[in-house]
Amino acid sequence: MLRDARNPEIATHEESLGFPMGNVKALERTRERLASRIDEQLLKTYERVSRKSPRVVVRVEGGVCQGCRMSLPTSSASRSITPASLENCQNCGRILYRL
Amino acid sequence: MTSATLTLPKAATVADGFLRSSLYIPELRVKRKSAVLEELAQTLGTATITKDPEGILELLRQRESLGSTGIGKGIAVPHVRSTLVSDRVILLARSQKGVEFEAVDGAPVHLVFLIVAPPIEPDPVYLKLLAEIVHSVRLARVRQKLLDAPTFEAAREVLRVAAAS
Repeated sequence: MLRDARNPEIATHEESLGFPMGNVKALERTRERLASRIDEQLLKTYERVSRKSPRVVVRVEGGVCQGCRMSLPTSSASRSITPASLENCQNCGRILYRL
Repeated sequence: MTSATLTLPKAATVADGFLRSSLYIPELRVKRKSAVLEELAQTLGTATITKDPEGILELLRQRESLGSTGIGKGIAVPHVRSTLVSDRVILLARSQKGVEFEAVDGAPVHLVFLIVAPPIEPDPVYLKLLAEIVHSVRLARVRQKLLDAPTFEAAREVLRVAAAS
């Protein structure tokens, strides 16, 4: 959401449709508050990946990372994800999730 | 950059493919914005669009903190992209009496279009849906027809015709 609000293309599009996007500061404060609750190492990983990939957390669909479109190893693709064992794509480093 | 520079697909339309009868609330039970957002999120959960309606509710609240999605003339279009959903869907909710939604014109909201979508980058379909809804409900007679529609199918047909006009 914050990324969209900071994206000039998306923000301009939304504002042109009548959606005010003025209060980005409120979102930034929320982001800071939530980030302070996240494990430091995990946050570092997030920040590192975000420097090269705008969308850090991506879905796994059909055993494929939807960030880089590379197939995940079978062992990885079948693993269940818990908060304590977050999985990164071995190709692009993005954090993976499944629905 | 203006919206005119965005490349939006012609194919996807609100009426065809994104509205669902399970995501239609013919009359909202509540009257205030916070409760409306809760009812919308709960409906998404009931319709198994998300396993985490509370998470969606929190995102909706955050989006409203950025600026109200009550865009005036009785219309609100809350919209979020989240990893909590896997499909783009639109929920249509109505309120004959109107709900307080902190709309930009201060008027009560009678029609709520909630858009939820996964965080695909880029996602021109999501932006197109947003634009199409705003375009479709710009006329008072369309808004009234939506409020008068006796069934979900009738409301969908109103939107189908309005999008094509």
